[in-house]
Amino acid sequence: MSGLLALDAWIGLGLALLTLGGAVLLRRAWAGASPRRPWLILGGWGLLVLALVLSVFLLGVARGPAVVLALGSTLALALVASGVEFRNARKKAARELALEPSERRRIAWRGWLRGILAGPLAGIAALGCGLAVAICAPGAVQSRMVIGGLMVPFLWAGGMAWTLSDDKILRATAVLTGVAVVTLGAAFLKGAL
Amino acid sequence: MDGSTKPAGKPIWPKVPAEFVRAMLAGHSALGLAFAALIYLVCFSGSIAVFTQEYTRWEQPAGPVLQAATPQAADRVFREALAHNPKARDVFVQLPEPVRPRLTAHLDDATGAERTFVADASGAIVGEMKTPWTEFQAELHTVLHLPRAWGGFIVGLTGVALLSSLISGVLSHPRVFKDAFAFRWGGSKRLQEADLHNRISVWGLPFHLVVSLTGAFLGLTVIIVGVLALATFKGDTTKAYALFTGPKVADDARPAPIIDLTQVLATLRAAHPEARTTYLFVEHPGERGQHASVSALTPGRLSRGEIYVIDGEAKLRGAVGYETGNLGQKVLSAMTPLHFGWFGGWPVKIAYLLLGLGLTSVTSSGVAIWLARRRDKGRPAPRWERVWIAFVWSQPFAYALSALAALILPVAPVMVWLLATLAASATAILWAPAALSLRLRAATAGLLALTVPVHVALNGGRLADPVAWIIDAGLLLTAVLLAASLWKPRQAA
Repeated sequence: MSGLLALDAWIGLGLALLTLGGAVLLRRAWAGASPRRPWLILGGWGLLVLALVLSVFLLGVARGPAVVLALGSTLALALVASGVEFRNARKKAARELALEPSERRRIAWRGWLRGILAGPLAGIAALGCGLAVAICAPGAVQSRMVIGGLMVPFLWAGGMAWTLSDDKILRATAVLTGVAVVTLGAAFLKGAL
Repeated sequence: MDGSTKPAGKPIWPKVPAEFVRAMLAGHSALGLAFAALIYLVCFSGSIAVFTQEYTRWEQPAGPVLQAATPQAADRVFREALAHNPKARDVFVQLPEPVRPRLTAHLDDATGAERTFVADASGAIVGEMKTPWTEFQAELHTVLHLPRAWGGFIVGLTGVALLSSLISGVLSHPRVFKDAFAFRWGGSKRLQEADLHNRISVWGLPFHLVVSLTGAFLGLTVIIVGVLALATFKGDTTKAYALFTGPKVADDARPAPIIDLTQVLATLRAAHPEARTTYLFVEHPGERGQHASVSALTPGRLSRGEIYVIDGEAKLRGAVGYETGNLGQKVLSAMTPLHFGWFGGWPVKIAYLLLGLGLTSVTSSGVAIWLARRRDKGRPAPRWERVWIAFVWSQPFAYALSALAALILPVAPVMVWLLATLAASATAILWAPAALSLRLRAATAGLLALTVPVHVALNGGRLADPVAWIIDAGLLLTAVLLAASLWKPRQAA
């Protein structure tokens, strides 16, 4: 599928260089205030958008942006790495500005409950949403299934992030249970694709 | 994600409440720690798995290396392979592609016996394909060498955890634009790791989102389809999968002349002259219900290729719809190439390797930040510091040892990998973190450097495939980079 694309590979690299150019302009804008700053920001984002638009025409609607994002990210990281600044190990930082994670009281049952919410309950609620879309949404059956299926990991991950962060466990429990009951109920009530 | 020391100026983004960020950081930290080892293992193995097709060529470098195969050659290798096992339940004939220039036929039967034969340009079988290390590393990434349902679920759940970490990580990084290009090294260990963690996380975000979402979807397919089947097909998952397998050819076990692949390919060529065939999957050969699923790729598409179903009489029954069907079918077809980086030639593969290793180091640095934070607060966890660094460097070591062993010993690479992982992790009892890192890196560099001459010696004079040389060069380069990294701490000291 791919090595063939010797020409496509070079087109991809060319487009990635455009994204690198965009990142260079953005870094120059980031480095300090100057009258040119708005133009540098505009030019930087402009080159990034141009690379994406060109990729659609040159490499395909789905493949082009995927190629540009993969190669562009790599080159941008190389640019960031090239600007590495070495700290003086003996000189202590002026002050610590990083925020600390919130300290919670360590209570075993809350930990277990949080784990159950983030794992099984968020998973069931996400499966319910995916199932409801697959069964109840309009459109071709395969599309509903794939879109519903893709929603499951995304919603599960979102539910996980929320329940592990929210200090109000009962709120998360109520919302996730409610979503699971409604979506699974709707899916099983309709019950056919 | 952690912060940095750059003095805070006027925010250019709506200010995120500190309490929200602190809560997100707590969740991010808890989840990252709970899944750290699994995420690390899945990310590292995934980075290596990007080059699965190339490892096949490295393990079978003698070829024959073919640019194309005639329909007659495809039919001949099919028949010759079938003659080796007339009870074969299905035969998978893979045609030469630029990325995998081999003509092969893979058979499996009801007893589970599997063999793969390699053919020359005429389709005559010239040998059997043996690629144990390639299979080992692919299976480690996809199912962790566990039973398919369990392994897939655990890998899928790891993908969900990674996706969740990305979400909470982004939400807990209010200085994302302010720090976009800040990359500082040295000084405080925690701040150094935080800069590394945050820069790779942010700039690699599109890649991280894509691989974690597609990985979670691919891993959880069994569960998703299972629940869907429960709700709609009374638990019959085959009916759910049938929606994605295209036209059906009814089972009929009565004997029939073996399907003619020359005619099958002629039928496809007549109907779709632009299609570039990559493989044929023949089910139930020699039965009336026999049929071939032929995969054909349209250049320029992000897809695994369209599948055309052709029956025993060489009649085209229709297509699955991976390239010509509805949105869902096209999206499904894009998942695997998108996940593994098999869609844009060698630059994208190299980018996926580097970004994958970047994600692996993000996982590693996430735990390092947590450990450094504990140390800064006067609550160091020296045992965990040792265990984590030993586990991190156990994987390059175990992979290198398993690759070397696969070349010279008749043992399953997975056993070598497992024992090497356990042995390397156990060194946490003996050495301090710095010594662990140094010695495991040195051992890995030595093993990789040794693998190359062993590979060349074993295949001396038969290294027909240039990719085998490229992989050897890559291994050598990795060994040199690892060896070079050993000198840094001494210079700094």
